[in-house]
Amino acid sequence: MNKNWIESNTFHHSEFKDLNRLVAEKQRKGLSISLCLPTLNEEKTIAKEIVIMKSELMTHYPLLDEIVVIDSGSTDKTRDIARSYDVTVHEADTILPHLEKFKGKGENLWKALYVTRGDILVYIDADIKNIHHRFAYGLLGPLLLSDTIKFTKAYYDRPISVGENKWRPTGGGRVTELVTRPLFALFMPDLTQILQPLSGEYAGYRSIFEAIPFPVGYGVETGMLIDIHKRWGLEVIAQVDLDRRVHRNQDTKALGRMAFVIIRTFLKRIERLDRVDIKQDLFDEMIQYSLIRGKLRPEIRLFEQCERPPMATVTEYREKFALGTHE
Amino acid sequence: MDKYLDVLPTFVDKIREVREIIISNIVFIGQISAPTFHERRRAERLVERFAEFQVDECTIDDFGNPIGVIHGSSSSVKPSIFVVAHLDTFSEVLVDQHFEVTDKTISGLGVSDNSAAVGVLASLPDIFDNLGLRFESDIVLVAPVHSLGRGNLRGIRRLLKAWPTPIAGAICLESVELGRLNYYSDGMIRGEIDCSIAVEEKWERYHKPNAILVINEVINSILKLRLPQKPRTQIVIGRIAGGFNHGKIAYDAKIGFEILSDSDDMVKELFADIGDIVAGINKAFAVELKLNRISNLGATSLQYNHPLVKCASRILDRLEIEAVSEPSETALSIFLQRQIPAITLGITSGDNFHQEGAMVEIEPMFKGIAQIPALVMAMDNGVCDE
Repeated sequence: MNKNWIESNTFHHSEFKDLNRLVAEKQRKGLSISLCLPTLNEEKTIAKEIVIMKSELMTHYPLLDEIVVIDSGSTDKTRDIARSYDVTVHEADTILPHLEKFKGKGENLWKALYVTRGDILVYIDADIKNIHHRFAYGLLGPLLLSDTIKFTKAYYDRPISVGENKWRPTGGGRVTELVTRPLFALFMPDLTQILQPLSGEYAGYRSIFEAIPFPVGYGVETGMLIDIHKRWGLEVIAQVDLDRRVHRNQDTKALGRMAFVIIRTFLKRIERLDRVDIKQDLFDEMIQYSLIRGKLRPEIRLFEQCERPPMATVTEYREKFALGTHE
Repeated sequence: MDKYLDVLPTFVDKIREVREIIISNIVFIGQISAPTFHERRRAERLVERFAEFQVDECTIDDFGNPIGVIHGSSSSVKPSIFVVAHLDTFSEVLVDQHFEVTDKTISGLGVSDNSAAVGVLASLPDIFDNLGLRFESDIVLVAPVHSLGRGNLRGIRRLLKAWPTPIAGAICLESVELGRLNYYSDGMIRGEIDCSIAVEEKWERYHKPNAILVINEVINSILKLRLPQKPRTQIVIGRIAGGFNHGKIAYDAKIGFEILSDSDDMVKELFADIGDIVAGINKAFAVELKLNRISNLGATSLQYNHPLVKCASRILDRLEIEAVSEPSETALSIFLQRQIPAITLGITSGDNFHQEGAMVEIEPMFKGIAQIPALVMAMDNGVCDE
């Protein structure tokens, strides 16, 4: 296990608050940067995220070159509100429309690669109540100032909103501590140093993202970490403390469904890496039980095992970004 | 005058161009809680924003008022122009808020009094820059602390007392309501009456007085006071609190009231009358009833035909906004007491002003803000001296 990594590759966002320095480095390296906000019914938070990122990191400091919203089919006013602030809004289904359609955050992130133009992409969830531009510049800092770091991941002190003006100061990350970290400790102890492997905010070079497959749902963060670690090593990864992130709390059942998908993604990955031999096909249905009028009734949710191939293998993408023919 | 009016439509469009900056400032500053006497963190944030916008001088004075000064281009000393928005909020919540923004509104506790105005104040350097405006006078941007309630406008009083150079005039900003044009303030005394009943040990007297009923007697007696129509006079009983349980006699009760009149003598007379009521009921019920004065202001006024008022009125007219003039007991009073021409303007429309769900509208804000650079231009060109 590389024990030095956590010392050398863990940062605090305040180390990168000199935005003039980041802009100068971006310009010196001739890079462009896209911010991608994946959404599904985020009408309460999307405008504030766009407004703050535009104001601080486009108007004041030209760090971002574009903001792109990729929506999974919101039924509220998310898309209209986003468009009113003059950012590009795509419905995920309309990107590469000839491909089979899937719903999920991973699908949005994967399709963002096709419609954005930045050399670096920043992915930020759209449900953050205490959004601040540090969420973007904190992740961009190591990418711009280092020559080796190619992928950055956020971690937080995560209070959970439990009501108006009431915060539970610890919590969040339950799936991380009960599922992901034990699995990493068992099979890939290097990755236990990543404090919040499931955090929804990360940034990286296009050259990294386009070369890895994307699970379409909750498994995207786990799959991404394992793939980047396997292919480029821990040295290209950094983690950044972004302080507090206030977000919606999810109930235990929802977390159970998330854990189901993450475990499955993990098992598939380590099987592909020849670390284990699973002698049966994994099931696609998560089964949970509820007590309804005195009777236990199963709630069965189907999670298809869908994964998008590396974007760099998609013909349309190769044409758009002039990558030549894929062999 | 027409040159200031003719540019207004362009101003509105150019201000809309920087709407993200304005909204960000309202959110970043407004989300920091700032009850009166607890404004320090918000003051620091505002000064940080001034500094980020390259404002020439950024400081927090000895009293805690955050100040940004945009230096004028004049080589000779010209009187400064003040733009002011009080920093504190009515809400006593000390926890930071999370504002919500949509395509049409910004909502959150305190946004309509006075976070939206403070956010606009923070944005003025960028707005002036985007409009290509440079002024000969120094422009002093201030968000005075200790303005509301017991604060009694101490922040702006102290600032003006210590300000070393002449002041040409002032524009005071309030988040709502667009169209307000205040240029006079009533005399005012704000007071509280506390009723407290001694708690007896073990066994309570059967006919123990109830603080709520005593306060009710006080209210009824105040309502019996005869108020003249001239001088225009009003008593508002705006706050009440008391008791702790449905079935228990209340040991404590309190009301807050305000006496307003365009005659300072009438305000004093009525406050003395209320003092007599309190003394009388004190004796009658044998309770501890106290009257406290928590703030006061003298009546002041700018003439309705003062060039600054006329200019502000014509700007509103050109923006197709109906001007509404009422007395305003804000920083305006302190400027006027010091013979400094001043007016108070509203920035936008809103709802649920002092409640949960307080919100302001985004689109009207651009017209509301356009008043400021137009008026500053006029003041810079000496409208207050005419």
